[in-house]
Amino acid sequence: MWKKLLAVGLLALGLSLAQAEELRVLTHSSFSLSKTLIQRFEQETGIRLRFIKGGDAGETLNKAILTKDAPIADVLYGVDNTFLSRALKAGIFEPYPSKEVRNLRSETILDPTLHAIPVDFGYVALNYDKAYFKTHPLPQTFADLAKPEFARLLVVENPATSSPGLAFLIATVDAFGEDGYLQFWARLRDGGVKVTKGWSAAYFSAFTPYGGDRPMVVSYTTSPAAEVYFSEGKYRVPPTDNLLFPKSAFFQVEFVGILKGTRHRKAAERFIDWMLSKEVQEDIPLHMWVYPARRDARLPEVFKFAEIPTRPARVAADRIARNRERWIREWTEVVIRGRAPEEVRK
Amino acid sequence: MIRRGLGPGLARALADPYYWGRFLWSLEYGLLASLLVIALALPLAYALRYRFPGRALLVALLGVPFVMPTIVVAAGFLALVGPRGLLGVDLSGTVFVLVWASVFYNLGMAARILHGLLARTGEGLEAAARTLGATPFRAFRRVTLPLLWPGILAAGGLTFVYTFASFGVPLLLGGYRYATLEVEVYRLLAYQLDFAGASALVLWQAAVLALVSAGYLWAGGRIAGGLQPGEPRALAPGAARWLSALLWMGFFLVTAPLWALLLESLRGPEGFGLGNYLRLLSGGDGVPLGQALANTLRFSLGALLLAAPVGLAYALAAARGSRLADLAGLVPLFVSPVSLGVGYLLAYPRLRASALVLVLAYATLAYPLFARSVVPALRGLAPELLEAAATLGAGPFRRLLRVELPLVRPALLSGAALALASAIGEFGATMLLVRPEWTTLTIAIYQRLGRPGIANYGEAMAMSVLLAALSGLLFAAFAKGAELG
Repeated sequence: MWKKLLAVGLLALGLSLAQAEELRVLTHSSFSLSKTLIQRFEQETGIRLRFIKGGDAGETLNKAILTKDAPIADVLYGVDNTFLSRALKAGIFEPYPSKEVRNLRSETILDPTLHAIPVDFGYVALNYDKAYFKTHPLPQTFADLAKPEFARLLVVENPATSSPGLAFLIATVDAFGEDGYLQFWARLRDGGVKVTKGWSAAYFSAFTPYGGDRPMVVSYTTSPAAEVYFSEGKYRVPPTDNLLFPKSAFFQVEFVGILKGTRHRKAAERFIDWMLSKEVQEDIPLHMWVYPARRDARLPEVFKFAEIPTRPARVAADRIARNRERWIREWTEVVIRGRAPEEVRK
Repeated sequence: MIRRGLGPGLARALADPYYWGRFLWSLEYGLLASLLVIALALPLAYALRYRFPGRALLVALLGVPFVMPTIVVAAGFLALVGPRGLLGVDLSGTVFVLVWASVFYNLGMAARILHGLLARTGEGLEAAARTLGATPFRAFRRVTLPLLWPGILAAGGLTFVYTFASFGVPLLLGGYRYATLEVEVYRLLAYQLDFAGASALVLWQAAVLALVSAGYLWAGGRIAGGLQPGEPRALAPGAARWLSALLWMGFFLVTAPLWALLLESLRGPEGFGLGNYLRLLSGGDGVPLGQALANTLRFSLGALLLAAPVGLAYALAAARGSRLADLAGLVPLFVSPVSLGVGYLLAYPRLRASALVLVLAYATLAYPLFARSVVPALRGLAPELLEAAATLGAGPFRRLLRVELPLVRPALLSGAALALASAIGEFGATMLLVRPEWTTLTIAIYQRLGRPGIANYGEAMAMSVLLAALSGLLFAAFAKGAELG
């Protein structure tokens, strides 16, 4: 009797294991895709997807690095080109030369070894609340932003934890140079710029259209289009707009990679191929408000309200890799810890 | 961790004015809170000498804040004076909120210590001084105050330790400006992956806490024994009513964040009602309530299974006069939760995949609480009983099992409730060690507080209320045990 029960139990256990191979996907908190697409993938492949939100992009990557001896997931999505070298240096990814890569825009392939595979790209840029600036003047140049009357209207993300925050920091380095960017930030700090941990806190809590007290925010050039889309007919034109100065926007690519030590390598490969498929790539714009990395993916209608900056900041990947930690450290010293730029740059 | 921290990390940290700033602020915060707590606890302790309506209940409730999880208290302050708070004024990121939180946590504890001491010194001495012609103020200053000093030092020291190393409230409400060392350690590790810097700060902080704890032990040694409050004195009925009204008003003022929490938990996107709770049950966006609750219970009960025997061993050793065991029982007082998390990360990287690491961390933090509840009861046992058992032929193990433990059962219950309460509310160490599949109630609340939208906010509030209720239940069990003892 007992033997029989045991056998049935083991069988059931075995079946349930065989049935639902679970793939754990670690993502940043802004990850989103159509539920129906995800369900279809699960039905067709028999792979159950579990999405784990690890916080903001930087925080999520740090979690993956801190747990690399015992990975908390099989796949990591959401490392961007600002943090890319940190991920590659920590050796958390296994390379995967997916056959879909040949369909991707070549400018997004920043890791030729394909440890990190591009999924989408976008432009980090300043957004402003049109209603507020109807009665107030807008800054005219990038440097204007640091004037006290504008600094207190701005909310930015902490570059130590947030990838748009880091992207914007790098844009300021490109715009004002190694010698000038800390001065710019010191003036922003003195003027009362607000710093949040991540993008959601900046956009959904501190930005004026959402009840905050800051009419300018570091977000994406696609955010105004998202405002129209999510207003469900309330807005015909966006209530917000991009504030584009030369070198104030930053070209950002987001990557996916297979975490070293996964026991579900095959499933992870299928997941990545699926992320790069035309179907998912065309789903991405309306869910994450970025551009698909795939050349032949069509953009939704509402993306006419998104803007591709003509003169974004251009910083080479290896320059970012060499200087990122120092920039973050110096930024933290000046903006968070209130030190003078000269003291920090010694 | 010591090796990592002592190297270039400590030198770098000590040379960095920013960390001195953090250190000075932690120090300032601790001192400010201690002074305020003592200033409020003294009159409260005096008032408790009198009989007034609702006195017994108030005395019992004084201990409740001690078991409230920090994430619940932080959520409470957000509910009251946060950006969306009930009062409509945003006080988050101000010193005011942080000091209030410390008063919330420590006032009851301080008042109890001082009240016990006051009752022991009794009114006899003060009355004697008065008959000898001393003014009331002089009698207080020359007679009562000197007797109270050890209590003031002990209560102030404890307040300082808890405040200096506090984590949850400054993390959520202190912003970047009022981060304590404990918060800085967490940020160094989670945001910047700076192990050396984090370890250095841990050592720095531990040194301060060890020093203050030594002072507390010394002061505590001088008030040891007999904190039994005497019978309260009668007052004129009118005065008693006034006193009662005043004290209860004060109580509601200090605990206002908890009441705000309760109200806010009923306010959701659907309007006033149980919407937030229903959404928690039906899933929602974040980690479901059931999963978080199951994790919390699993780890906490596991920790209790470890902490109870270890705590009992320490308690037995301490009760039999081992000074070493007494000290060892205090170690976690100056090893803060976040430090403990850092230590486990560095010392046992292999344990990262095993939930045992959380159970161990919880047990490490809980066993001293268990031991401290049991020691007085063990010390209070009449030695004759054990001797009698011995003459009847009972061996030491049998004596422990059949005589000692049954006699201190209420204290064991108290200790277990306290240990369990500390485990279910654990936040600092969990933040560093947790994996997605281990998400506890405290982490689930923190995650929801970090997400945008009224729905997440409401769910965080509702979850906090449930966690507070759980803690309250455990406190009731603790109080029951203490009463029986």
